Amino acid sequence: MNNYLDLSIAEIHELLLNGKIKPIDLVEESFKKLDDNKLNAFITIDYEGARKKALELENIKVPKDNLFFGIPIAIKDNIMVSDLRCTCASHILENFISIYDASVISLIKNMNMIIIGKTNMDEFAMGSTSETSYFKAPINPWNKDKVPGGSSGGSAVAVASGITPFSLGSDTGGSIRQPASFNGIVGMKPTYGRVSRFGLVAFASSLDQIGPMTRNVYENALLLNLISQKDDKDLTSIETNEDFTRLIGKDVKNMKIAVPKYFVSDIVEKEVLEVFNNVLDKLKSYGLKIDYVDVNHIDKAPILYQIIAMGEASSNLARFDGIRYGLSKQEATLEDLYKKTRSEGFGVEVKRRIMVGSYILSGENAKIYYNKALQIRDDLKKSFEKIYKEYDLILAPTSSRPAYDVGLNKDDPLRSFMDDILVMHANMGGFPSMSLPMGKISGLPIGMQIMGNMLDEAKIYQLGAFIEKELNLYLKVGE
Amino acid sequence: MNYQKTIGIEVHVELKTKEKLFSPAINSYGSLANSNCNIIDLGYPGTLPTLNQEAIDLAIRAASVLNCKISKKMHFDRKNYFYPDNPKNFQITQEGTPIGRDGYIEIEDNGTKKKIEILEMHIEEDTCKSIHSKERTLLDFNRAGVPLIEIVTKPCIHTSREATLYLERLRELLLYANVSDCKIEEGSMRCDANISISKTDTLGTKIEVKNIGSITNVGLAIDYEAKRQEELLEAGKTLKEETRRYDAKLGKTILMRVKETGNDYRYFPEPDIPYITLTEEKIQEVVKNIPTLANIRREKYLKSGISLINVNKLIANKDLSDYLEELDGVNLKTASNLLLGDIQAYLNKVNKTIKETELTKEKMAELVEKLDSNIISNKNFKDIIEDVMTLNLSVSEILDKKGIKNVRDDSLVLDIINKVIIDNQSVVLDYLNGNERALKFLMGQVMKESKGSVNPKIANDLLIKTLETKK
Repeated sequence: MNNYLDLSIAEIHELLLNGKIKPIDLVEESFKKLDDNKLNAFITIDYEGARKKALELENIKVPKDNLFFGIPIAIKDNIMVSDLRCTCASHILENFISIYDASVISLIKNMNMIIIGKTNMDEFAMGSTSETSYFKAPINPWNKDKVPGGSSGGSAVAVASGITPFSLGSDTGGSIRQPASFNGIVGMKPTYGRVSRFGLVAFASSLDQIGPMTRNVYENALLLNLISQKDDKDLTSIETNEDFTRLIGKDVKNMKIAVPKYFVSDIVEKEVLEVFNNVLDKLKSYGLKIDYVDVNHIDKAPILYQIIAMGEASSNLARFDGIRYGLSKQEATLEDLYKKTRSEGFGVEVKRRIMVGSYILSGENAKIYYNKALQIRDDLKKSFEKIYKEYDLILAPTSSRPAYDVGLNKDDPLRSFMDDILVMHANMGGFPSMSLPMGKISGLPIGMQIMGNMLDEAKIYQLGAFIEKELNLYLKVGE
Repeated sequence: MNYQKTIGIEVHVELKTKEKLFSPAINSYGSLANSNCNIIDLGYPGTLPTLNQEAIDLAIRAASVLNCKISKKMHFDRKNYFYPDNPKNFQITQEGTPIGRDGYIEIEDNGTKKKIEILEMHIEEDTCKSIHSKERTLLDFNRAGVPLIEIVTKPCIHTSREATLYLERLRELLLYANVSDCKIEEGSMRCDANISISKTDTLGTKIEVKNIGSITNVGLAIDYEAKRQEELLEAGKTLKEETRRYDAKLGKTILMRVKETGNDYRYFPEPDIPYITLTEEKIQEVVKNIPTLANIRREKYLKSGISLINVNKLIANKDLSDYLEELDGVNLKTASNLLLGDIQAYLNKVNKTIKETELTKEKMAELVEKLDSNIISNKNFKDIIEDVMTLNLSVSEILDKKGIKNVRDDSLVLDIINKVIIDNQSVVLDYLNGNERALKFLMGQVMKESKGSVNPKIANDLLIKTLETKK
């Protein structure tokens, strides 16, 4: 079997440019790996469409300046790709075929990337193991007894197992970064508004953000270059026009780093802290200034998340009612149609969150919980902004533990929230945050997080690339 | 002691925008079902609302003519409820920060003025239209997402007369501000009335009558409902909050549903639409462009000598009034006579609006000018008006085409008069002998000879002058 896809994007591009390989070679390699490894990374595989596209591209001269030309990419199954199923890993959308492209998909198609398929995930992105998927749950390529993390589990597995060099995930409370950590890859949740949400099936609108998942920091910045663009179809999208790779390689010696004490407290497993402290020591010895700081309200993120995300989700998922599209249980009365469709269509975790969210927004609760949560969220954002006035970046472990056994969270829904205890803050404040590998624990990769102020992605990539180079981990499944 | 009625009125008005409130689909009425809707209106997964600035501008206009305080910082909220006509199962509306608050409209009844206070007005999206048949319900999404404003009065109305005057005045204001068509029959204006009666200062049980089909029927529904409630109370019964509808054929209100306590819409701020800031400059700019309102036009028309009857006719026909507004420096009285006479008759005949004809403002001004200066007669006008309105030709070209000469040319008229005098010597003698009726005959001959193309007044003067020289 060819292993072109293990090369860097620049090297693959060179081979395409010199006519040594064709896009179809890359596509076939993707499909071969995908079929061989049986990791359930995908819900829908577009064999036909991807091959057709690859052959079409043979009629086009490979453009010198388009590194993305002919490169396979995997898309999380809550992002609309025209003519492909978009299930959100739910029975209620099991047979829903999208009639339009999400704005990010248009950008990807414009650059002639090849979409291999739609990746597995937690149902409607609700979960942190991908086990709430209606379909067969994806498996961690590092250890088949472990979860791949979630909700963007399939997208992380696709990259980690070499099926595609790029994938897109979505991150509402850590759903890109936590699976990136569990799979030993790089995942970025960009600044809220940096990437258009048009075509992303909404979970919690004020927190959701699409982001790139890649093998390394540089390629992550490249993919963010491609997918970030102001979009008139999304009123929360922002003006954005910059090269995120521009600071990579620049000296980081003068950076001032803050480490919130809470993020290195006993909420994190000891082994994880040891690996993290190793990285900090390396940075210190290189000359970076690192301070341990207190951040107001930092421990409240999981509670805020439950109130805000679930409140918004209960409203966002109301449209799946069996009237216009998706699963529809034909019953004698309207109420029965709603009841049956939604009871059968949604899984347990989704129903739980809809119920909690509806309760939170009901009557006086809206004031007691929801409005109060919005206030504290604002305070939390301000307390982070205060840190960024003095420090360039914040560092923390991404997850409190490495990938754990399949089924461990099943009977304890709260455990799943505690998984994201270190990553939700970025969503609450709209800040960018990236997870990159920092080491391994008992054969499993574990990630660390670089968080930045609004719009500071380039600085995150700058430090991320430095750490990546210093650690020189080169994690690869099976090696 | 008698029962006092207390009435609050809620009106929904569709804004006259080109596109929908949160999508670029066309805002239209009467199109083929489901031809003007897109993935946003259908509530497709992954779609997000955009915001139609024109709708915001029209809502500012409305708030301004209703004398409301305008919210400088506002946002939208989600109202969550399940119903098939509500595609997302939430409606985007304004709960916390309505665009207008604390407004009023002044009504006048037999010389007595009263302010009807407006509690608030807010912007929201319309639902889609359900068409119920025996077996099933069909949904037309053309209406889904059409911009609406809802205008809510305080419970400050006490008679059906006040209610109908308020609605007439409201309709006129919104119509003339070009905010909405306000056609109740097409649903672009919908009226609900909350009615209660009480003998004390404490308000009675509120009963809502929804979607009443005309302003007149609002009055009838209020009177019926108040009487119904009084009879129940007098019979010792207690009232429950409920929603009713008015059946115009039966002249009765009919129960739709009893209100359940704690209707829970789970409102929260719409996260997909950022807060909107309206600057004072922005508001002023919108207000500056509000077309002249009816009361100002009314005064102007009366001042220019148009009869009260015609003034009312013009105000009732906004198209013609708008047309009149656009005519610069033209004699309004003459123009209004023409508009309300032959022009309107022709428009009615062919079922067109004035804008759909060839009657440009320039041609209209020329017609008025020619009539006022006796260059053409009323008869001439009648003869050419259809051509003027249907042909892309100037008034002069049409006069030429019709063979209507420059009848103001005295020598031309004189030629005709001289011919008539020669042909009717005996009648001329009669006139010279003091028979006044002979003049009428001669005048008739002049008109006949000229085929009606001379201006009768000019011809008459010239005829007398010529006859005088024969004395």
